Amino acid sequence: MSGRPTGARRPRLERRSRVAPWLLVAVPAVSVAAALAVGAVALRLIGLDPLTVYREMLRSGFTTWFGFTDTLSSATPLILTGLAAAVAFRFHLYNVGAEGQLYVGAIAASGVALALGPDVPQAAAVVAVILAGMAGGMLWIAVPALTRAWLGTSEIITTLLLNYVALYLMRYLIFGSASFWRDPTSTNFPQGLRIPAAAEFPQYGTTRIHLGLLVAVIAAVLVHVALTRTRVGYELRVYGDSPAAARYAGISVRRAVLVALLASGALAGLAGAGEIAGRARQLDPQGLALGLGYAGIIVAALARYNPLSVMLVAVLLGGIRNAGTALQSLPGARVPIAISTMLEGALLLFTLGGELFVRYRLRTGRSPQPAAGPAEASAGAPAPGVPASPAEPPPASAPGPAPASRSEQP
Amino acid sequence: MNDTALVLTLAAAVAAGTPLALAALGELLTERAGVLNLGVEGMMLLGAVAAFLAADGSGSPAVGLLAGMLTGGALAAAHAFLSVTMRANQIVSGLALVIFGTGLSTFLGQPIEGRPLAARLGGAAVPVLADLPVVGRILFQQDLVVYATWVLALLVLGYLGRTRAGLSLRAVGESPATADAMGVRVAAVRYAHTIAGGLLAGAGGAYLILARVPSWAQAATTNGIGWIALALVVFASWRPLRVLAGAYLFGAALRANFALQAAGVRGVPAEVLAMLPYLLTIAVLVALSAGDLRRRVGAPAALGVPYVRDER
Repeated sequence: MSGRPTGARRPRLERRSRVAPWLLVAVPAVSVAAALAVGAVALRLIGLDPLTVYREMLRSGFTTWFGFTDTLSSATPLILTGLAAAVAFRFHLYNVGAEGQLYVGAIAASGVALALGPDVPQAAAVVAVILAGMAGGMLWIAVPALTRAWLGTSEIITTLLLNYVALYLMRYLIFGSASFWRDPTSTNFPQGLRIPAAAEFPQYGTTRIHLGLLVAVIAAVLVHVALTRTRVGYELRVYGDSPAAARYAGISVRRAVLVALLASGALAGLAGAGEIAGRARQLDPQGLALGLGYAGIIVAALARYNPLSVMLVAVLLGGIRNAGTALQSLPGARVPIAISTMLEGALLLFTLGGELFVRYRLRTGRSPQPAAGPAEASAGAPAPGVPASPAEPPPASAPGPAPASRSEQP
Repeated sequence: MNDTALVLTLAAAVAAGTPLALAALGELLTERAGVLNLGVEGMMLLGAVAAFLAADGSGSPAVGLLAGMLTGGALAAAHAFLSVTMRANQIVSGLALVIFGTGLSTFLGQPIEGRPLAARLGGAAVPVLADLPVVGRILFQQDLVVYATWVLALLVLGYLGRTRAGLSLRAVGESPATADAMGVRVAAVRYAHTIAGGLLAGAGGAYLILARVPSWAQAATTNGIGWIALALVVFASWRPLRVLAGAYLFGAALRANFALQAAGVRGVPAEVLAMLPYLLTIAVLVALSAGDLRRRVGAPAALGVPYVRDER
């Protein structure tokens, strides 16, 4: 009745029975190209030559030894925030508060480092800093995680808003009060107290690569093993596919939610500890607020929430970020540093669009059955492979109290 | 009596709540169509930059407002394409909008950072009503956008409840399959209302830069207002007039420093005051899900769920 074209030749989407492996490479590659194209338009808008800028980005991010080691250093926190997003988003738990959890992890890590002082053996101090960072991150996600598990409050907005609270908390400790974290001798411009050398992550040679990279790689492998080889990982995967199925299987949904969110917070907090002990060496509200938590969401989405792929994608994004900083010193033109963030956002948008082609195939030919009546309504068509697809169920979370499908059962 | 601290605080709350109300009314339309667009913050930021550039170039705040709306609408169209046509994860798509909007607005806004805008939106007192004691100062000595927001809230109310298109919209948000069977074009309705939401979020961002904040200050220009707007829609149980009232309530929270000073409270650190609106929003969300309101009144049943006809 609505006058829609009903011909069988209309292009239509068909679910793939299984994901074609080449697409897992092709889709990200095309997304990167498309994001660069959008970036080129923006660069043109402010009167810069995209090719020059991109060539410089490639050089300073990937193709020189010095640049590449810097890229690995930039990738270190991104691996961890990427993992933080991956362990939650994969199960439709949307922790968008990694940014704030990273700050609180940094506060806790620097606080413990300062409290321990210079006379503790390095190994002990480093372990304490790592544990403190994880504890800080978990603390910051505790309220969203508990309210999500028990009351069904959507974690999206609560985790996100806590980012702002954490930012102001960090600013308060350095700029707003004579706190334990603040260097008492910094009178003109307040700054954080430098942590003792014993608590610093060792660096490798003359590069900026530090122990945090190793920690991040170990974390990625552990998360992978935990998700694929352990009972709790199995329970989470069942929960992620279908909360109802998990409930019928006797899996504690509350525990699954708590485990995923707390692990997510711990990983983000660990990223904060690494930033303190490996790079900033003091609680630095400006220097830590780089959007690393938000970038982790992009890393995870590009990696399709796979912990091992997260490492590769983090290096790609680390390179883009590193190049954004390096471009500042490009003679002549002033390239805004936000080019990195803009490219990251565009990359995510295109990846999301491309996801469709991983899950569906575009059919332009005649549909298998001769259409009787409105073609699209003859739903039986895609006989081969409707159920076999491992695709995720549609997102069910909404802002506010939990979606009905997850809180119906007592 | 017109200039007591309380009256001034309330007037400031109405002004501060207006960008919130605009964005939240837009998101209400989007969500009523069953589409969740978390990208409000990104649309507001990009709308603000576009509004500044357009108003600065043309010398007219009206042109700025229009540019801000169109920019917000364009970003929302991208979200509609991803979530309706491409069936992408709406939550991640909305987050992508925030990240992209933040990045692009910072990128384009670099030259105007900290620069005051000459073509600002001026106040416009309503004749007669402005002279009323107290109420006149609070409500009728504002600007045109504030008054337009009231009209808008009433229009949305009438549209939802009393028009055929509004009925279709609600059907699409509650049960797209039923709406489809009734002959409603689900995808078209979702596109239209997602874009409408973007237009209004863009308007909110434009209003911020044209009338509220002194200058462009990167992401600190909106400072999370877009996210509070999302919470506000839940708080208002998807009803337009409650959105308006809630916006002014949150507007008061955003002006907490003002209010506390008015109440004679001193010595609270600025950073702690700045945290209050976010903490309040979280508390409200938790309280809403705790009480009997658990089975939410008014949430569109199909919110966030892509509609695919041949996969039912």
